[in-house]
Amino acid sequence: MANTTAMEMTAVGLSDFADLMRANQSMVFSIAYHFLHDRAVAEEVAQDVFLQLYRKRSSLESDSHAMAWLRKVTCHRCIDYARRRRQTVALDDIPEPESEPAPGDPLMAHRLRRMIASLPPKARAVVVLRYQEDLEPEEIAGVLGWRVNTVKSQLHRSLKMLRQKFDRTSGERLS
Amino acid sequence: MMRLEDELRNSLRREEPPEGFAERVLAETAKAAPSVWRRLFALPILRWAMAGAVCLMLAVAGIEYKQAQQEQAHGEAAKAQLMRALHITALKLQLAQEKVRNLEASEKY
Repeated sequence: MANTTAMEMTAVGLSDFADLMRANQSMVFSIAYHFLHDRAVAEEVAQDVFLQLYRKRSSLESDSHAMAWLRKVTCHRCIDYARRRRQTVALDDIPEPESEPAPGDPLMAHRLRRMIASLPPKARAVVVLRYQEDLEPEEIAGVLGWRVNTVKSQLHRSLKMLRQKFDRTSGERLS
Repeated sequence: MMRLEDELRNSLRREEPPEGFAERVLAETAKAAPSVWRRLFALPILRWAMAGAVCLMLAVAGIEYKQAQQEQAHGEAAKAQLMRALHITALKLQLAQEKVRNLEASEKY
């Protein structure tokens, strides 16, 4: 599937769509999950995104194009979803994570995820794309359709907010 | 800064979706998949061929209808002519009969 174009996929049909989905499902689901902090809602959003991909598959030129498209659509869906639900959520209202704790300091990971989920939607999108997807600010700007400077300042503000939140809740200072 | 960023990377590692996710999406796409006919007519060449065939059929049907109408008009005209001819013949026969009757009557006297 690595070099198979989406046009070829269209000709072949459902089986190659399945390959494309399996290759990208953790990326799409994780963006939605880290953004929305709810596995059921994240699954629903991810499913909608893949159904949209299925309908649009003939207009996608390659696997990398499909991947970029998936990132973009997932982020925008999550931002829209968060805005609709007016998720300026207080830290205490954010549900406990249902997933396995990450290796390293599980308490720290748990706390950070809740803090990320309490950020404003745009800040959340930047943080998820930067630290989950490991994208550079230029790439994030491409995904979200923003200017690079906007992404950089948003990222800077988000990190500052996270650090302040963390210091407030734990008393420990993050470097 | 580095420690916070490392912790963020660690917290935001990719996760697999719940079990059966791919199967559920594929089941939905199968429902959304267009029928064989829709897929067939999605090809532009087939759409044009179909449009051409429909136009041809309409043209042939139009010509056939016009021809049938003309034939019917010809038939009606022929029938009217025949009726007139029969009428004239009947009149002529009636006249001839009257003449014969008159001749027979004059021969008697």
